[in-house]
Amino acid sequence: MTQIVDRIPESVFRVISTVVIVVLFAMILFPLYFMVTTSFKFEAEIYSELTWIPRDPTISNFRDAIFNFHIPLYLSNTLLVAISTTSIVVVVSVLASYALTRLRFPGRAAMARGVLFVYLIPGSLMLIPMYLIIVKAGLKDTFPGLIIANMSFSVPFCTWLMMGYLRTLSSEIEEASLIDGCTRLRSLWHIVIPLSLPAIITAAIFIFNNVWNEYIFALVLAQDDQHKMISVGLANFYRSDYYMIGPMMAGSLIAMTPVVLLYILAQRHVVGGLSAGAVKG
Amino acid sequence: MSQDTLVRPVAAAKSKSARPQKKRALFAGDVRLGWILVTPALLVVLGMVGYPFVEAIRISFTDRMVGRGPGRWVGFANYEYIWGWPGFAEMVTRTVLITIAAVAIKTLVGLILATSLNQNFRGRDVLRGVFMLPWILPTYIIVLVWRWIFDGQTGLLNQILMSFGFISENIPFLAQKGTAVALLIFVMVWKGYPFYALTFLAGMQTISPELYDAAKVDGAGRMARFRHITLPGLRQVMGVVILLSTIWTMNTLEIPMLLTGGGPSNATEVFPLLTYHLAMQNFRLGEGAALPIMMLPVIGLLVLAVAGYMDKEATQ
Repeated sequence: MTQIVDRIPESVFRVISTVVIVVLFAMILFPLYFMVTTSFKFEAEIYSELTWIPRDPTISNFRDAIFNFHIPLYLSNTLLVAISTTSIVVVVSVLASYALTRLRFPGRAAMARGVLFVYLIPGSLMLIPMYLIIVKAGLKDTFPGLIIANMSFSVPFCTWLMMGYLRTLSSEIEEASLIDGCTRLRSLWHIVIPLSLPAIITAAIFIFNNVWNEYIFALVLAQDDQHKMISVGLANFYRSDYYMIGPMMAGSLIAMTPVVLLYILAQRHVVGGLSAGAVKG
Repeated sequence: MSQDTLVRPVAAAKSKSARPQKKRALFAGDVRLGWILVTPALLVVLGMVGYPFVEAIRISFTDRMVGRGPGRWVGFANYEYIWGWPGFAEMVTRTVLITIAAVAIKTLVGLILATSLNQNFRGRDVLRGVFMLPWILPTYIIVLVWRWIFDGQTGLLNQILMSFGFISENIPFLAQKGTAVALLIFVMVWKGYPFYALTFLAGMQTISPELYDAAKVDGAGRMARFRHITLPGLRQVMGVVILLSTIWTMNTLEIPMLLTGGGPSNATEVFPLLTYHLAMQNFRLGEGAALPIMMLPVIGLLVLAVAGYMDKEATQ
């Protein structure tokens, strides 16, 4: 094996890696391509036979998704929950991560260690008690209930991500500012936060993305239309025996657009902020 | 350990400082401020993670059901029931095997893609952006699209195979045991491997090219260079990614739930899905709470391993 691989000339090796990239690339685009084209097809065409390009392009699926399946309502619900969660979590986590990496106080080391453990508690374990607590608090089918559930896994995650960044950030400027009489809070506001803005943006995008993409808690905690999340709304297309493929694909396309746009806008930050901690799935 | 790294920057600055007296005063207010800044996060963690966690343990000792009050204390009855359930060992084996298969394939494909992308060519950054798509796109959308593609009646894959004349009759991919398990792993891999590839690639790019040049001069072949330079250079990154991803993969609920719902005849019913079914379909909250607690030792070992790796990384 080793000898065979070693004997391959450089040019052939380049061809092999190109082939690998092309095949994997095609596998990535395959479902997405058909998601997009199918959303422009009439139902009859979807069910009858394979067509690579819509024979008779239509926007009726989008009209259906928007007017008959409440997609705009679910989107605005999701947007509200995602933005609220992200704002609260970022503030809470930045404060905590600053304290846990920069300040000296008893209990800090234990808490800094605990963050990772809390972050890794399995969601299936939290599902049942969280559901019962939210129901008992009268927060089922409300936005605060959804925000609380999303905060419970976002705060440890974001704190952990920010701690990782702050540890790599040199504290010399801060030290200097403190010696010059700056208070801790002023140095946090004027030095640490501006310097860690790229990490804060990355963390915010991850959290927004996680809330936008969350399905299980959304399914269990909000079943009425007025508070339903987009994930639950879309999965419901599959609930009945009658599969509404066209509107579902159109709805999926609409639902993934904000995430993709956000990602394109912030790609530089996200790729830069890639850390092992962001693995999900 | 991590404590050392936390303290290090401060200690280093301290020793350099020309004004040690004033320096000490800098930390005077830290205790109070530290607690003030940590309190909101601590409240969230205690109230929204800690309290539910304790509740989960308490509920697992009761026969609580949905909509029927708090239930009675039943001791270890739920644990005994699950342990004695004939399908339990099979379910655990299934969960572990599917997880191992998915993680192994993700690692392999991730390494291959990272190696292929670790060369200079035009458009590499665009490619890298497209390869991120499975990772950023909502899982439910990905699973719903794949489910339609694999559907036994109106699915795209059947249409494609039919149009090329490979098959004459629709294949119910998600209703056959073998194909259903394989496709569950496939979707997990599809969603997960790009992230592996991109972190591996980031790791590869931190390896000094001079090492490769030196090895080439010494006559090391491609495999030898991969084995003795690339892999050791990636060990840290790979360790963290694989361990964390094992935890996530094992806990994945959305993919089996939306792709197969655990069927056909439980062939894809992994532990998070069974938890969901026990609690939300059979309304047996006590059993639903007991099952993940029984799986906790396995996950706990993985978590400890991750923590060990992280500490090593932090002190390097």
